[in-house]
Amino acid sequence: MDNAKKFKVEICLGTTCYVLGAAELAELEEYLPEELADRVDVCGCNCLGLCKNRNFGSAPFVRVDGKEILAKASIDSIIECLKRKLGEVKNDQ
Amino acid sequence: MDRNFNETFVEIECSCRTKDGESVCGDCFMSLRTESDHRHLAVLSDGLGSGIKANLLATMTSTMALKFMKSDMEILQSAEIIMDTLPVCEYRKISYATFTIVDLHLGGQTRIIEMGNPAFIHLRDGKDLKWENRELVSARWPDRRMTLTELKVLPGDRLIICSDGVTQAGLGHAPNKFGWRREGCLRFVQEQLAAEPELSARELSARVVAQACGQCPEHKYMDDTSCLVIYLRRPRKLRLLTGPPFNPASDAEYASLVRDFEGKTIVCGGTTANLVARELKRPIKMDIKLVRKAGGLPPPSSIEGIDLVTEGILTLTEVVRHLEQGNYQQAPLAARQMIELLLASDVIELVVGTKVNDAHQDPNLPVDLEIRRNIVRRLSQVLEENYRKEVKTRYY
Repeated sequence: MDNAKKFKVEICLGTTCYVLGAAELAELEEYLPEELADRVDVCGCNCLGLCKNRNFGSAPFVRVDGKEILAKASIDSIIECLKRKLGEVKNDQ
Repeated sequence: MDRNFNETFVEIECSCRTKDGESVCGDCFMSLRTESDHRHLAVLSDGLGSGIKANLLATMTSTMALKFMKSDMEILQSAEIIMDTLPVCEYRKISYATFTIVDLHLGGQTRIIEMGNPAFIHLRDGKDLKWENRELVSARWPDRRMTLTELKVLPGDRLIICSDGVTQAGLGHAPNKFGWRREGCLRFVQEQLAAEPELSARELSARVVAQACGQCPEHKYMDDTSCLVIYLRRPRKLRLLTGPPFNPASDAEYASLVRDFEGKTIVCGGTTANLVARELKRPIKMDIKLVRKAGGLPPPSSIEGIDLVTEGILTLTEVVRHLEQGNYQQAPLAARQMIELLLASDVIELVVGTKVNDAHQDPNLPVDLEIRRNIVRRLSQVLEENYRKEVKTRYY
């Protein structure tokens, strides 16, 4: 298993995301289950520009692994997404 | 020092500290810049006694003095009206507030009218300049002597005016049995300026007041203590970009405004920061750990070469709110950093992109988001009126 692989979680801290609760998502690290604790790199990021495009759903937005966008993100939905990604990595091995 | 009046900003700042145990300051400072921009008026008045009564006397005196000077009323007549108007203290049976009025004309004659305050200091290249003055005496108030000094100021000069709380600091206690006096204050200012020749008026006035306090036993303010500094300085410039341009074709030109600017730069707004980062090909960095310390606003991020990068509307709203209240020590991180940069500048250019972010107009958002143009207008107004900054706004 590739222990070095960390999932990057980027929390958008633009105005729209912030007023809809992004600041609380920045606490994500404290809620991570044991299996994910060392596998996640949480960082804030400047406005992702997603709020302007209705196709993406509603804020707050989080980007996981540079690709997947979570709309209306919550701590739970981010953890769920990370667990799925972890499962995919394990299945690949 | 370059003695060029065209590139000169008149920085006027006053630090006032209230006598220990009182709730309000009995010294009052007011100033205004007339529309022509070449004339600046400043008044420091010290009301008899301390507390509310002193504050009232000083505030009335400053308000009247400023108004009369602005309308070019004759000095003696102005002073008589002030003295006739002030309420009489029921214990002391006198009405009294000392004052110093500075009527400064860039490139012209400057007048300083003093009544009862410690004599002003005019510093040029570290030297305490002496000027001739003459006495003005009112027939109705013969014991209230005023002095009028006419002088010329040059770029680089400083005028320092103190209330007696500064010159009498430490009075009766060794080593300043007769107080810190004008000489003590002068020496301190000269030392500070020898070490830092371009020290701002804001910083110098704060240091004088703090040093005066240091002369007092137990470092208490024994009287209302104020220091007004007027510094004819080379302006410190700041350019703030906020909002993406209405027309995206202007993006490159817009971003270039912070690339080659001689002065401080602020980029305010997520989309704006993305645009600047893209056009200048510099990454944006953000420290997630700052979220917790950021105190209710998105934390500042950073772009190389830019002094401050913040979120937009929420931060601007907090900045304006704290500037209007006049107290920003408790402001959230990003707002406090922006206020500190703004207050440490003289000439501020607000460059406003007018494109509206539709997402901010969503009625489901839990807070009201101001329209950028409105909040910028308030920012410009508070900086000019309350903080004596020269503000230019342009729209993109």
